[in-house]
Amino acid sequence: MNGPGTNSTAPAPPLLKVESVSKSFGGIHALRGVSFEVREGDIHAVIGPNGAGKTTLFNVITGAYNPERGMVAFEGREVQGGKIHQAASRGIARTFQNVELFGSMSVLENVLVGGHVRTKCGFPGAIFRWPWVRKEEREAVARAMELLEFAGIADIAGNRSADLPFGWQRFVEIARALASQPRLLLLDEPAAGLNGAETQRLGELMRSIRDRGITLLLVEHDMNLTMEISDRLLVLNQGAKLAEGTPREIQANEAVMEAYLGRE
Amino acid sequence: MRRIVFLIVILAVGLAVDNPYRLQLLTIVGVNTMLTLGLNMLMGYAGQISLGHAAFYGIGAYTTAILTTHAQWPPLLALPAAVLLTAVVALVVGFPTLKLTGYYLGMGTLGFGMIVYILLREWSAVTGGASGLVGIPPLAVGGFTIRPGRDYFYLVWLMVMLLFIICERVVDSRVGRALRAIHDSEKAAAAMGIDTIRAKVSVFVLSAVFAALAGFLYAHLISFISPGSFDFMMSIRLVTMVVIGGMASIWGAVLGAFILTLLPEWLHVFADYEVIIYGSILMTVMIFLPQGLTRGVLDIYERSRHKFNSARSAASQG
Amino acid sequence: MQEFLQYLFSGLTNGAIYAVIALGFSMLYSATKLINFAQGEFVMLGALSLVSLWSGLHLPLPIAFLISVAGVSIAGILLERLAIRSVRVPHPITLVIITVGASILLRGVAMLAWGKDSHSVRSFSSHPPFDIAGATLLPQSLWILGVTAAVVAALHFFYKKTLTGKAMEACAINKRAASILGVPSERMVMLAFAMSAAVGAMAGILIAPVTMCGYDMGAMLGLKGFCAAMLGGVGSSWGAIAGGLLLGVLESLGVGFISSSLKDAIAFLLLLFILYVRPSGIFGAGEVHRF
Repeated sequence: MNGPGTNSTAPAPPLLKVESVSKSFGGIHALRGVSFEVREGDIHAVIGPNGAGKTTLFNVITGAYNPERGMVAFEGREVQGGKIHQAASRGIARTFQNVELFGSMSVLENVLVGGHVRTKCGFPGAIFRWPWVRKEEREAVARAMELLEFAGIADIAGNRSADLPFGWQRFVEIARALASQPRLLLLDEPAAGLNGAETQRLGELMRSIRDRGITLLLVEHDMNLTMEISDRLLVLNQGAKLAEGTPREIQANEAVMEAYLGRE
Repeated sequence: MRRIVFLIVILAVGLAVDNPYRLQLLTIVGVNTMLTLGLNMLMGYAGQISLGHAAFYGIGAYTTAILTTHAQWPPLLALPAAVLLTAVVALVVGFPTLKLTGYYLGMGTLGFGMIVYILLREWSAVTGGASGLVGIPPLAVGGFTIRPGRDYFYLVWLMVMLLFIICERVVDSRVGRALRAIHDSEKAAAAMGIDTIRAKVSVFVLSAVFAALAGFLYAHLISFISPGSFDFMMSIRLVTMVVIGGMASIWGAVLGAFILTLLPEWLHVFADYEVIIYGSILMTVMIFLPQGLTRGVLDIYERSRHKFNSARSAASQG
Repeated sequence: MQEFLQYLFSGLTNGAIYAVIALGFSMLYSATKLINFAQGEFVMLGALSLVSLWSGLHLPLPIAFLISVAGVSIAGILLERLAIRSVRVPHPITLVIITVGASILLRGVAMLAWGKDSHSVRSFSSHPPFDIAGATLLPQSLWILGVTAAVVAALHFFYKKTLTGKAMEACAINKRAASILGVPSERMVMLAFAMSAAVGAMAGILIAPVTMCGYDMGAMLGLKGFCAAMLGGVGSSWGAIAGGLLLGVLESLGVGFISSSLKDAIAFLLLLFILYVRPSGIFGAGEVHRF
């Protein structure tokens, strides 16, 4: 896997390209002609008030929704037309706004499910347990443990995920998403429900994820966190793009301050 | 270790029981266990329900019965035919319904079970109609005949053990984790790259194949089959066995099959009120202990012991 | 032609019954997103109550009708209060098992109360059959079609014109928003159960004179009602009616021109067909919930 910025001499093609995407639900326009690009190796944030279309945008990017107009290209290939479960094998992983863990399973098992697309064992393999299956399983467990270590939750590997406090569940969910070895990680309001210390840990974790060469696209409400860690921001308002730029540019943007942050 | 205990128990029971009626009864417990093991994979692990499982059981039994009586096939040749036919039928029924939420598979299999029952009853030329098929030959493997009795008891319970190991291995594998993931959150499972429809269809077909195997063994054990053994109530009985045993518990499936096969034999009142009893069991267990009876009772026990212990330690400190 | 007309009459008659049962499914589904596997048992209870009250106790027909419908509605409310409401995690499989349990429990109770034998009821009116272009039309068919039309009109009025009906639709669209706006969603769910049970009972009462009524009649009728609901698109009232009539006519033509032993299979084959090609129903614009 290429590290970020290894080919900084030529302008790298965008990892994700969203081009004039529109999506409506029964007359309500959730997205209207949104275009933007995510560069490889960036932490890219999408902000905007509730109902601005952020979650819809995520669902379009993963292929869960088909937009009426426009297109989404990931690594130069169009995303649409596929099934939801194909996003993960393409290299797009995601977390959910309300944390969707597999509650009856342990933390380790959750992360192992995350690695589903990187393993191959089917029913025959499970029943006969060929040597390659055992090897695959051992390696999957080792990788999962390594990820739990990375996310700082290795000591709860054996706990039932539903019994964990909410903040920890978020970290489990991120570790689980990483297990699919994505190129792009979509985080849907990762700081929601976290306390100050946890939010800070989350920021550090996101940076170290980026340092592993994984591009991040996040939807977030926590302004301090977003401004601090993002390389670029996209501001949505009522389904349309309001502004785009570096945190500094966004903070200096009159329209954004007026429409979203409120004039102070 | 548990498997060795299991094996020893089977051996010991086989040796200790002499009465042919009881041996047959225990063999049928084994057949029902095979059915429950399969249904439990579907209900307990994948969170999907089949209300027509008796139909797959029936297709397995009737396929071998028809092939070995009408067409004079040797049973060993009829076995793959029965399994294959059942798998194909399960695929046809499961594929469209499993794309949708859980209710549709329930309704689809309910209707399927009824249709198969009607077919078995009405298509007399082939199935023998309501009076069924007689003279199904005993199992013969290369000149060696396994007659109903002790040998058959061992055969069935060895098969149970084999399926048991298969279930344990599937549950504890990438496939099993995917199934449990679908049960917990289908949305997240799909986001993790699990082809949820394919996984659900696969486990549905697997459970149908288990049922076909059970049907095959049942037909050659009893040597006479009629539609009544494969009706809607049989499907309900199987669901109740799984629910009693505790969904998502392989040992529970064995227990459920045991209780519900033996109880009606011992309690004749049971037979008269069977329908009401099953209905009440299904409702009360699902309302109060949705994890299933055994799991639920264990949970309550654990909790009360926990409470008792903490109360005692608090008392000793105070 | 005459033969065709005859099949059409019987098809529409049965179809109207399926339509009413389908309405019961759809009504409950649109309010609660739940498919009640005991719906067929409400039909059976309606039919058997009529047997006891009208043929047995010789009550006047309208009174027997009202008592039967009210009694079955209470059964529906009890199902909701005692069973459905107590479920903490409403996973579909849990609700399927509970309603299936309720269904066979009711079947067992009915078997104890009414016995294993079938009962029959005389037609609502003793008018001789009509002769239309050589085909016979039973007066009971007119009753069935007429009452079905009345039920549809009453439901239409309820949903479009009354406050409760509108509140129920609001609940169906968004439960949380409705409860924030002061619509008591729990009461609406209970009402939906009562109404779908009542509609089921009416179907049973209507069909009683043209069929054999027994404790086990509910299973097949329930399945066909569901099939009709699927054909029209679950959750859509007009779809339920169209689906019911279509199923009735197709079934009747199938019996007439292919084979009578095929009768019960037609519904299932149609169900499978519709699940394959168009799970949202032929007429249903409403999306079937898929992942």
